Amino acid sequence: MNVPTEHLLILSAILFAIGMGGFLLRRNMIVVLMSIELMLNAANLAFLAGARQHAALAGHWVAEGPVMVTFVIAVAAVEAAVGLALVIAFYRRKQTVSLDRLSPTGAASKAN
Amino acid sequence: MFALQDLHLQGLSLLSPELTLVTTALVVLMMDLIWKERDSWRLGAIGLVGLGAAALQLVSAHGTQGTAFGLVSIDNFGGFFKLFTSAATGVCIVFVMLDRRERRHRIGEYYFLLLSAAIGIFFMVGTYNLLLLVLGLELASLASYSLAGFHKGEKRSAEAAMKYVVFGGLSAGVMVFGISLLYAVTGTLDMRVMSGALAIDPVGEGVARSLAVALEQSPGMVALAMILILGGFSFKISSAPFHFWAPDVYEGSPTPVTTFLAVASKAGGFGALMRFFGVLFVAPDVGEMVAAYRNEIGMVLALVAAATMTLGNLAALRQTSLKRMLAYSSVAHAGYVLVGVAAMNQAGMEASLFYLAAYYFMNLGAFGFLLYFSGVTGRETLESLRGMGPKAPMITVPMVIFLVSLTGIPPMVGFTGKLQLLYAAMGPAEGLQLGWLAVCLGLNSVISLYYYMRVVRVLFLEDSDEPRPEPQVPMAVFLCLMAFLTVWFGLFFTPLLDLARSGMDLLT
Repeated sequence: MNVPTEHLLILSAILFAIGMGGFLLRRNMIVVLMSIELMLNAANLAFLAGARQHAALAGHWVAEGPVMVTFVIAVAAVEAAVGLALVIAFYRRKQTVSLDRLSPTGAASKAN
Repeated sequence: MFALQDLHLQGLSLLSPELTLVTTALVVLMMDLIWKERDSWRLGAIGLVGLGAAALQLVSAHGTQGTAFGLVSIDNFGGFFKLFTSAATGVCIVFVMLDRRERRHRIGEYYFLLLSAAIGIFFMVGTYNLLLLVLGLELASLASYSLAGFHKGEKRSAEAAMKYVVFGGLSAGVMVFGISLLYAVTGTLDMRVMSGALAIDPVGEGVARSLAVALEQSPGMVALAMILILGGFSFKISSAPFHFWAPDVYEGSPTPVTTFLAVASKAGGFGALMRFFGVLFVAPDVGEMVAAYRNEIGMVLALVAAATMTLGNLAALRQTSLKRMLAYSSVAHAGYVLVGVAAMNQAGMEASLFYLAAYYFMNLGAFGFLLYFSGVTGRETLESLRGMGPKAPMITVPMVIFLVSLTGIPPMVGFTGKLQLLYAAMGPAEGLQLGWLAVCLGLNSVISLYYYMRVVRVLFLEDSDEPRPEPQVPMAVFLCLMAFLTVWFGLFFTPLLDLARSGMDLLT
């Protein structure tokens, strides 16, 4: 089975667009964090597609792309950990995880 | 393939500033557990000693060129930003020690997170490898998220952290996706291989292509990748279109953290951005193809710079809170620094480095003033400063100097910096027309005059019967020192100029 690299890149662009759409449209913080994960994973797919393409050209695998992917996976996990911790801190104060409950940008100074 | 000598221990000695900071951070964390003190200035002192040692090592390594483990590059350019970061982090630690409200029992973690963020910036500015750049950026960002929400009981702090993590995550996603596209077309993560400066691919055998080739084969992918990567950097330096998080986060975070974000973190973002665009487009040996592309990138950066400074200044006009005003002012200053980068030549980048150094003195001073007054009065509004000028001259007179310098009026260092940026905009890279940007910079300075001088008016020309604020000697000494340096480097700017010039070994 030989999937062309372009198809993989297009798939990763679609995943990225879905992630971006989720980020912009959804108001639940957990879903927003999931959307960010989706964007990072779209990048991972593109890395692996690129690495496969270059491996085919060079005749052997080159570590750079796959290594980047493992690190991005780790980074995404850490982001999720920190993000969820902050969501919990927020939830304890407001009893909600909706972004609508944040003061809108530009209005924070009135809260004093 | 990695050569065996690359893995030799000599790489470790090149990394000594980073290792010093890592050790310091761990020692602070451990001593926090051992001492269990509520009000521990000793932990802060350990942090300061570590930062001082790292700074000394950086100064003594000035002029050294080398690569540790094939990833971390040691050069004057990185050295400039690392020195900047350690000096700024040191001031932030001093701010935490001076701030009455910050003295609480989790203080060890506070210092630890500040030091971790500094380590992240060290790696971010000191590498040609996009993998390490992303990791350093993430380390700095993750520590900053927690710092922004450090007072999790406070509504504003919790909200600030939430907004920061959401937009930070978005920018990380955007940037990593951009890098993945760039990797797909070039087959390498090393900026020098992309630029063609390093003919030999350090890890693979002949699969890497330079950016010039990639531009020929798939210009659309390269353009998309560049825009996405610029978006990621734009978050870190709080420039348009990713600047809208900055005022809220800066305002909600504890003031020492705001200082860190506005000074150290922003400079780190600029370091990485300048290295990226500098190596790929400005270096002398880029081909014709890339040189033509360079001007398009320069134009995009110029538009971003103009939008950033205008939006920042216009929004700052309306603010009633000093902290929020300084936040918008710091957005506007990101736009000023970008002018030098947009010029896309060595002189422009030197001007940006010079302006960042100037920004260090005047902005740290202004934030120190804010910290003092919000500590004394418990408020951050301009109202609360009414008539304070004559009552605490050791604090307010330096503030006037910082504000004058931020506006860009001679003889302060801010003026010298702006002059350099104007020159940079007048003489950009071949084929790039940035005269309009110079005009924009001038107009923006006039706009900013209004809101900076409003603070001076409130301080000195208005009256109130508020009591004389309680003096705080260390802060007064710090502010006077910063004010002195702001004037001194405005008049005798050659040392800063030399520092900026030596920092540009990146492009040779």
